[in-house]
Amino acid sequence: MPYLLQFLQSLAVVALAPLYAGVLTRASALVQSKHGPAILQPYFDLWKWLGKASAVSDQTSWIFRAAPYVAMACYLAVSTIVPVITDQPLPLAFLGDLLGGALVLGLASFVMSLAALDTASPLGGLGASRTTWIGSLAEPALILVFFTVGVLSASDNPYLMNHAIAASPLAMVLPTHLLGAVAFFMLLLAETGHIPIDNPSGTIEISMIEESRVLEYSGREYALVKWGGWIKLFLLSAIFMNVFVLPWGLGDGTSLVGGLVGILAVLGKLAVCGLAIVIIDSSFAKLRFFRIAEYLGGAFLLALIGIVTSYVVAK
Amino acid sequence: MQHLSLTSPAGVFLSLDAVLILLTAFACLGSKLFDRYLTYYGLQSVLLAAAAATAAVVTGDNALWVLASLTLCLKGIAIPLAARRLLVSRLQLQRDAGIALGLSTSLILGAGLCAFAYLVIGPQNLAHGLISRSIIPLSTAVLLLGALMMVVRRHMVAQLIGWLIMENGVFLGAITLTASFPFIVEAGIFFDVIAGFLIMLAMTTGIAERISAASLAPPRREPS
Repeated sequence: MPYLLQFLQSLAVVALAPLYAGVLTRASALVQSKHGPAILQPYFDLWKWLGKASAVSDQTSWIFRAAPYVAMACYLAVSTIVPVITDQPLPLAFLGDLLGGALVLGLASFVMSLAALDTASPLGGLGASRTTWIGSLAEPALILVFFTVGVLSASDNPYLMNHAIAASPLAMVLPTHLLGAVAFFMLLLAETGHIPIDNPSGTIEISMIEESRVLEYSGREYALVKWGGWIKLFLLSAIFMNVFVLPWGLGDGTSLVGGLVGILAVLGKLAVCGLAIVIIDSSFAKLRFFRIAEYLGGAFLLALIGIVTSYVVAK
Repeated sequence: MQHLSLTSPAGVFLSLDAVLILLTAFACLGSKLFDRYLTYYGLQSVLLAAAAATAAVVTGDNALWVLASLTLCLKGIAIPLAARRLLVSRLQLQRDAGIALGLSTSLILGAGLCAFAYLVIGPQNLAHGLISRSIIPLSTAVLLLGALMMVVRRHMVAQLIGWLIMENGVFLGAITLTASFPFIVEAGIFFDVIAGFLIMLAMTTGIAERISAASLAPPRREPS
């Protein structure tokens, strides 16, 4: 049964990530008084791209062709180790802790940057350089955020963090936890290319950050790249809701019904998280490029103060 | 008040409030518009008034209610409003050009000072589970941040804001820990600070009107 649940969790992540992205796009459009594309549009897009042949420049090497598969494998690996539908560790949960998950996500970003450099297109190099710069600033802050939850739960495994916070609601209002949660949300926006770092619906190549890395892809590889991005957004939002904000309502890891209820619960939680993302997307402007350092410095600062104030956690 | 438990509702609220006060101090340090300085300072004072009101509820001391309402009216509403009318509307002060250190650098320095406050206070040595454990280091950190603001800003108004933040830090520690402190002493200091602020604001205005910028940074365009 645990292996079945493990499979169900990864399947749910892969199958529902486009739905989450579609709902986000539609909700942003509605907030801005537009009609917007259908909620299922990402599935139609994937279907179309998967059926198309892929045009690859003859200047590229095998790195360019392999990168989307490596990145997709990384996202699938992360989907096995974080709590999405159950709060009991599944068989593969101890492959890595949250730091390990961040490392694997970093690997995915790294291969995509390599692929962008491999095409030798000017926009690809630009995107790779920008994403790497942002990643190098976001990573230390992310590690500190994991420490803030680690201080409260005395662990770096996301399941145990989830347990520690679900067990004592008092921990939810401790400064350490609140600061860590806000910092993680800021980093979520930065990592998934949302306002105020990047405009997910931007169409001007020169101002793109994450998107300009994948401009050269087409057909099946493009489908994988987009799908991977949606899975990353889904996973980070699920970690945010299940570990930081609402650690309740997940299945217990022994029954299939619990897992299915867990899927519904996680969808409800993602709706809350998505609402926050949509509100921020629609009410703020994109930051000037060199102010991104201040934004990420702010996230770093919040996490650091969170750890410092953990000195006084009443045990 | 000194014996308030950290896990009681009032204790949790006070430590959260103190963290928010610290964050507003950081927000002041990290912005460079005069308008923002005043907004964050006003917000900080409102939070401080909330802390004083909590202390009044816990101790049942009427003098603390007076202090809380004074803080709210004078520091939370009157000073930001008056200063905004004077500086932003009349003198058209907008961007603080007299910043000695980059914003990110000063924020990192501020984080270092915050850690330093915890280091010298050593809350792990204080009585276990009491509110003083969380408030003393936080108020010290706010005080140090105000001092840092006075160091890294060259403009007189910005330095004044730093000075007021320092005062808020002292007030936070005093209000939450020593509620038995004679009311007349606290109120006296309070009014001293306000009077000092008003005098300095008047001076700044005079100087600013004459030379158009009270800054050591290169002179800016004449306000129209």
